[in-house]
Amino acid sequence: MWTVFKKEIYRVLSDRRLILSVFIIPGLSIYLIYSLMGSVMNEQITDVEEHEAVVYTEYRPEAISTLMREGMRYTLYEGDVANAAEMERLITEGELDLVILFDPDFIDKVDNNGENPLPGVTVLYNQGRQKSTRAHAQFLGVMSAFHQQVVIDRLEDSAQYRVYDLVTHNHMDERLVMGQGLAMMLPILVVIFLFASAMSIGPDAIAGEKERGTIATLLVTPIERRHIALGKVLSLALLSLMGAFSAFIGIIASLPRLMQMDGRPSDMALYSLTDYLLLLVLLVTTVLFIVAVIALISAYAKTIKEATMLITPFYMLAIISGVMNSFGGAGGGGAILYYLSPIYGPIKLFGDILAFDYSLSSFLITTLSSLTYTVILVYAINLMFNNEKIMFSR
Amino acid sequence: MSDLIVRNIKKTFTLSRKQMRIERTKDKRKIAVDGLSFEVKRGEIYGLLGPNGAGKTTALRCISTLIRPDEGDITVDGKSVLKSSLDVRRRIAFLTSELKLDDHFTPGYLFRYFSKLHGVDEKTMTERKNFLFSRFGIDKFEGVKVADLSTGMKQKTSLALALVHDPDFIIFDEPTNGLDILTARTVIDYLNEMRARGKAIVLSTHILDVVEKLCDRVGIIIDGSLKLSGSLSEVRNQHPDNTLESVFFNLMQATVGEENV
Repeated sequence: MWTVFKKEIYRVLSDRRLILSVFIIPGLSIYLIYSLMGSVMNEQITDVEEHEAVVYTEYRPEAISTLMREGMRYTLYEGDVANAAEMERLITEGELDLVILFDPDFIDKVDNNGENPLPGVTVLYNQGRQKSTRAHAQFLGVMSAFHQQVVIDRLEDSAQYRVYDLVTHNHMDERLVMGQGLAMMLPILVVIFLFASAMSIGPDAIAGEKERGTIATLLVTPIERRHIALGKVLSLALLSLMGAFSAFIGIIASLPRLMQMDGRPSDMALYSLTDYLLLLVLLVTTVLFIVAVIALISAYAKTIKEATMLITPFYMLAIISGVMNSFGGAGGGGAILYYLSPIYGPIKLFGDILAFDYSLSSFLITTLSSLTYTVILVYAINLMFNNEKIMFSR
Repeated sequence: MSDLIVRNIKKTFTLSRKQMRIERTKDKRKIAVDGLSFEVKRGEIYGLLGPNGAGKTTALRCISTLIRPDEGDITVDGKSVLKSSLDVRRRIAFLTSELKLDDHFTPGYLFRYFSKLHGVDEKTMTERKNFLFSRFGIDKFEGVKVADLSTGMKQKTSLALALVHDPDFIIFDEPTNGLDILTARTVIDYLNEMRARGKAIVLSTHILDVVEKLCDRVGIIIDGSLKLSGSLSEVRNQHPDNTLESVFFNLMQATVGEENV
């Protein structure tokens, strides 16, 4: 078994192209993509936050101007706006962020206290532009403050306006928030990269032997077929783990930029040693299962191309499971059936651990079920290696 | 006592729809080998001669334990392919001219790999490698990747790899098929050497010349059944022309009909 194992490891480690595609490119590409994503997102947010909204107003009362100066970052549009169509054009094209049209004598009409028709304010903005949306939200805040001021003035006893005191304290647990963020992103990525690593080497190791005809040379040696199957599966598992580890390093290295934590360490200390150990055990059992699936399909397929084609639906299933977990939200609990599910279970538990919300029972159910499935699959691979129709059909 | 005994083996395959179309048959079952029996002693070369699709490769695959006969049994040095397949594999080498190698590895690496799979110790492995690589002229290419070797050199490498454990029984499917003249000559010479060293060799071929040059005894197989078996002279004597070719064509005509030959 170890001879087959070592040969498969050597096969990959002695090939520069495979080393590049299995171990270096995943980590490097994740690091570059995420770093770029983080930088772009960060820049966008800063840009929107620091942007001074360009606002055009008509008949703006002084009371509102005062509130706007306190509650908004803006500059008044200095150009001429001929008509409503021109306003719409400027908003659509992004030259203006906000158009606010007050009725003439707006304040006087407000002071007339409820006479119809009520004074109006017309606001034009463009929801498709973040800067315009932000300016609009800020202006709604301004008008809310104005509304409150008017109501208080109208009441004879302003104390009647106050119904309760609302005191809010935000005790944000940065660790938990960060964990939940990671729980949404990491599990799907890790599973995708595990699959991708295993897919890039698995079909060649078994279906490739059949395609080249070298399987007969191997099967005529005095080695038990189950040892050949185990040697293949274990070597693929180790190589896939190394590939996934590369992706993992890429993710960790890009986290400071992705999570806008520039200047701070990547918070590896976020998790305890126990958490990392649990993640490692989960990773190993998941890899074993994925590799066993790929090995089984590769043993069945006649060619590398056929194996890759047959594996693709399982790959898609893994991605869908990851997406379901990301959108379903991280967090412990859920039916035992979830944790018993071959791919969804590990992805969910991965998220649970990262979100600090897991139980020992869910961990045991997931890892032990993955191991059980792997043993069943390896047994099936062994049967396939013994099946002459599968091994030698053309 | 015979060392390799094939006793009344039968092997049937289920055809796929594609294969049924190719074979132009409506029968899903195809009898590839039907009641085949022969024996091979140490120090002799036995040739299974037959047209394409006669069941030669199936018979050799049964001997080499790659597939199991549905009926009958094969014993190699007293070990049954059905009951002691690992013991049989320790004693045999199975070669085919179509055998391909993994392009990524070097002959040196592959020799070491197969030696380990056969449980050959380091010292013996080195001695055998030096001998076989030198014998086949591979020594200069020991560290060259298979992908960069010529076809002839690849075939010689395959031959050397099959012999890492110095087996007493050599099963060779179409030994010279597709080989250039020089490589074919090397293979024939080596098989003669193996016979002289007391090895039992079974080969399949559809080339009469190979049988004439190599075999001590021959079995003519048509449609999965052995139609004639004996020493070369015994077989030749079955026709007034006293040639293997005439005997072979006579048997073909008698079995599949003149129009199909």
